[in-house]
Amino acid sequence: MRKSFLIAGVALIAMAGSAAGWVATRAVPDAPPAASFAVLDAEKNEVGRYVVPADKDIFAQPNADEIIYGKRLLADTARLLPDNVGAAMNCNSCHLLDGKIDAANGYINTVNFYPRVMPRAGKEVDLETRINGCFQRSMNGRPLDREGREMKAMIAYMEWLRQGVAKEHRVDIVNAGPVDESLIPDPDNGKAIYAQKCAACHGVNGEGMRDQFGDIIFPPLWGDESFNIGAGLARTYKAAQFVKWAMPPAMHLDGQLGQGGVLTDQEAVDVSEYFTHMPRPDFAPKVNDWPNGNKPKDARY
Amino acid sequence: MRVLKLALLAGLSALAIGWGVAASTPYWFAPKQDRKVDIADPELIARGEYLARAGDCVACHTAPGGAPYAGGLGLQTPLGTIYATNITPDPETGIGSYDYGDFERAVRKGLRPDGVHLYPAMPFASYKVVSDADTEAMYAYFMSAVKPVAKQNQPTTIPWPASLRWPLAWWQLLFAQPRDFEAPQSDDPLVARGAYLVEGLAHCGACHTPRGLAYEEKALKEDGSGRFLSGSVLEGWYAKNLRNEDTGLVTWTEEELVTFLRTGRNKRTAAFGSMSDVVEHSLQYLGDDDLTAIARYLKSLPPRPGREQWRPKEDVTTAALRGGDFSAPGAMTYIEHCTACHRLDGKGAPEVYPALAGNSMVFADDPSSLIQVTLAGGRMPSTPGHSMAFTMPGFAHLSNADLAELMTFIRNGWGNHASAVTEADIARMRKEIAHKPVHYAPEAAQ
Ligand code: HEC
Ligand code: HEC
Ligand code: HEC
Ligand code: HEC
Ligand code: HEC
Repeated sequence: MRKSFLIAGVALIAMAGSAAGWVATRAVPDAPPAASFAVLDAEKNEVGRYVVPADKDIFAQPNADEIIYGKRLLADTARLLPDNVGAAMNCNSCHLLDGKIDAANGYINTVNFYPRVMPRAGKEVDLETRINGCFQRSMNGRPLDREGREMKAMIAYMEWLRQGVAKEHRVDIVNAGPVDESLIPDPDNGKAIYAQKCAACHGVNGEGMRDQFGDIIFPPLWGDESFNIGAGLARTYKAAQFVKWAMPPAMHLDGQLGQGGVLTDQEAVDVSEYFTHMPRPDFAPKVNDWPNGNKPKDARY
Repeated sequence: MRVLKLALLAGLSALAIGWGVAASTPYWFAPKQDRKVDIADPELIARGEYLARAGDCVACHTAPGGAPYAGGLGLQTPLGTIYATNITPDPETGIGSYDYGDFERAVRKGLRPDGVHLYPAMPFASYKVVSDADTEAMYAYFMSAVKPVAKQNQPTTIPWPASLRWPLAWWQLLFAQPRDFEAPQSDDPLVARGAYLVEGLAHCGACHTPRGLAYEEKALKEDGSGRFLSGSVLEGWYAKNLRNEDTGLVTWTEEELVTFLRTGRNKRTAAFGSMSDVVEHSLQYLGDDDLTAIARYLKSLPPRPGREQWRPKEDVTTAALRGGDFSAPGAMTYIEHCTACHRLDGKGAPEVYPALAGNSMVFADDPSSLIQVTLAGGRMPSTPGHSMAFTMPGFAHLSNADLAELMTFIRNGWGNHASAVTEADIARMRKEIAHKPVHYAPEAAQ
């Protein structure tokens, strides 16, 4: 009697144990390992991997408040810095998703790029100057105080995003994807494409769309509230690179914004020629650009 | 020994009687109608085409990329795959040799001309209330205006003995009794028209009414029990509650409903999953009068006691997010991955990005749709009403823990309130998505 109890008990425990073991070994499905990019040295040898960090990791940083403030300024620039922004535009309007996306003007390598010599300025510029360049041209506004809290916060965000990649190394991503620059633009076709593939968001008259607070949902593509003629995006082929690889969003089941890859190179060039040449604010200091020549063929002045 | 023999005998006779009754139903339960239809009447054909749209016959009877109505789409059941058949008027492989009586019996009574019973995957239980006049019109359309396609039907993959069809007769006896359409009590003729479409051709209940153990819809019409159209899960999508109550449609106006049915989107929401197909293949073709009828009827479905209203709680989320307070669990994940489209105020962009605030699919009783659309993404239907249809990318690359927190945040943000979503819920949906049935006949898959 005792013995059979014992045997039954042992059997029961063994069964329970193996059941538990079976359950434990059956993997609970979860996210695949995070995608990563190669980190390259000057000779393009891979020296490590870079994973785009999750924003919630910011909370663990000693200067979390500063980084979060910088992140907000980049995303909500027009609302938070009205004195410096002239256009209905945020930094995120062109640097998609806080600069975290490949081929959409990312900030991942930005800190490591500067200071550098820029042909448009004809001299070495540092990161503060570069950011203020976007304030004055792309945002059609006024420069930030180079030493101010706002400038420091934005750079703190970009610094965090770099995730300690060494100054001389580069994460293997691009600011903008390639577009065939030998193509001749056809603005009439561009107008038709605009109506089919852009107007639903950017408005029939390129005016964009605002939310209940008057904040920008879809930025304007031309008119008084758009970027000025001195912006990089005012150039047909630079705009086409962005349009081809980053616009429109919400087109695919993959990609952080389901963005880009809908237009052919020709279509991207056509539509870019069309909207960049619609009326937009002038940029007075344009006379100082490209002091040493080498003006690109699509420069506007 | 004697007892065993007796039991065996009893069992066999029960089986024999069961089979006998089943084999006889074509004569008494589902007799064939004898009637002539003028299939050349252009008016009848045109009306039939419209009604076939309302019935969404094309959705099941067309394989992806295949010829319309030539069959081949596989419908998954736990026992195997049932393929919708070729209903083009090809005399060899389609329904070209059917007279009106054959057609009527298949569509409204689930019976093939050779006396074989159809699976309820063909929604004859709903089509039962379709009027004679409408059935005739559809017959004329299929016979005269659909292009015949020679394509053999695909046998089901259900193994023997489950593949025996005569027990389906018993299913039909139990769950698809003959019935005529009874208009609901209402002074508004549109409500009756709406009921006729919803219960019948549009077969909304096939997806939106919960099903019982035998796969029967728990109610085929409004019967006072509150079960009709009270929400059901299919393939991991929650076809939500459509009754005029809290988590159903009480927060929707008739106009919003009509806009949604016609275009697959309105200011607050957008269709995805199988509803996207319903709009794309069927509802967008219906007239405004019929869509209004459907909407008015749904808005007339009485709420169950205690569920008359849905009141949002106070919205503290918008101010917190706009003020830079991302400390709530899930808020930072939302900010990182969702605000670019659904925005800090959770209102999205009208007709482009659906709102999450005040959107009844977000705070639905069952979060399946919310989880699946976030994991796998979704596509709006394309309709002529809009120049572009938008797609939401999937977020399966986020961890279960992040997604559970995020879903709970959304279901309780901006005044929404609903139960929490757990990591196990997310894991379960990942499994479901990984084992998603493929709706193709084998040859159509390549
Ligand atoms: C209208 C579009 C637009 C807007 C708005 C905009 N930028 Fe830019 N930005 C660009 C383009 C285009 C480039 C050039 C990228 C290249 O050189 O390929 C650029 C370059 C930069 C760079 C240098 C990046 C690098 O890695 O070299 C920084 C930093 C920058 N922008 C910051 C900002 C900030 C901060 C704001 C908001 C105040 C802003 N931008 C707004 C379009 C824009
Ligand atoms: C689904 C809506 C949508 C569609 C369609 C769309 N865009 Fe955009 N576009 C956006 C959003 C949103 C931004 C700003 C990015 C952000 O804030 O995250 C943007 C930004 C831009 C910008 C940079 C900012 C500016 O205003 O100059 C350009 C240029 C642009 N889009 C061009 C196009 C073109 C050209 C098309 C058509 C081929 C197009 N977009 C279609 C949503 C859209
Ligand atoms: C939800 C999917 C679905 C819809 C909607 C649907 N059917 Fe079917 N239908 C089926 C399936 C599956 C079968 C085959 C059932 C079987 O093999 O038992 C079938 C069978 C049939 C048959 C019998 C064909 C034969 O081989 O004899 C006819 C006729 C038919 N459908 C007509 C229609 C018409 C007309 C409509 C629209 C009013 C329609 N169906 C809508 C799924 C559907
Ligand atoms: C093939 C199955 C199917 C049929 C048939 C069907 N639906 Fe749906 N429906 C769904 C699914 C799945 C969802 C959830 C996805 C969504 O919300 O878009 C849904 C969602 C909805 C929604 C809510 C949309 C939202 O975003 O909150 C409405 C309203 C609706 N259906 C109405 C109807 C009506 C009316 C009919 C009949 C004319 C119908 N449906 C027929 C599957 C179906
Ligand atoms: C690129 C823009 C974009 C991003 C980013 C995005 N969505 Fe969406 N979302 C959409 C679009 C477009 C739809 C409509 C899809 C459809 O109808 O099939 C949608 C639909 C939804 C719906 C269904 C609402 C309804 O009524 O139809 C939910 C829930 C949702 N998104 C949640 C999220 C969550 C959670 C995130 C962040 C993890 C997110 N979305 C990120 C564009 C986006």
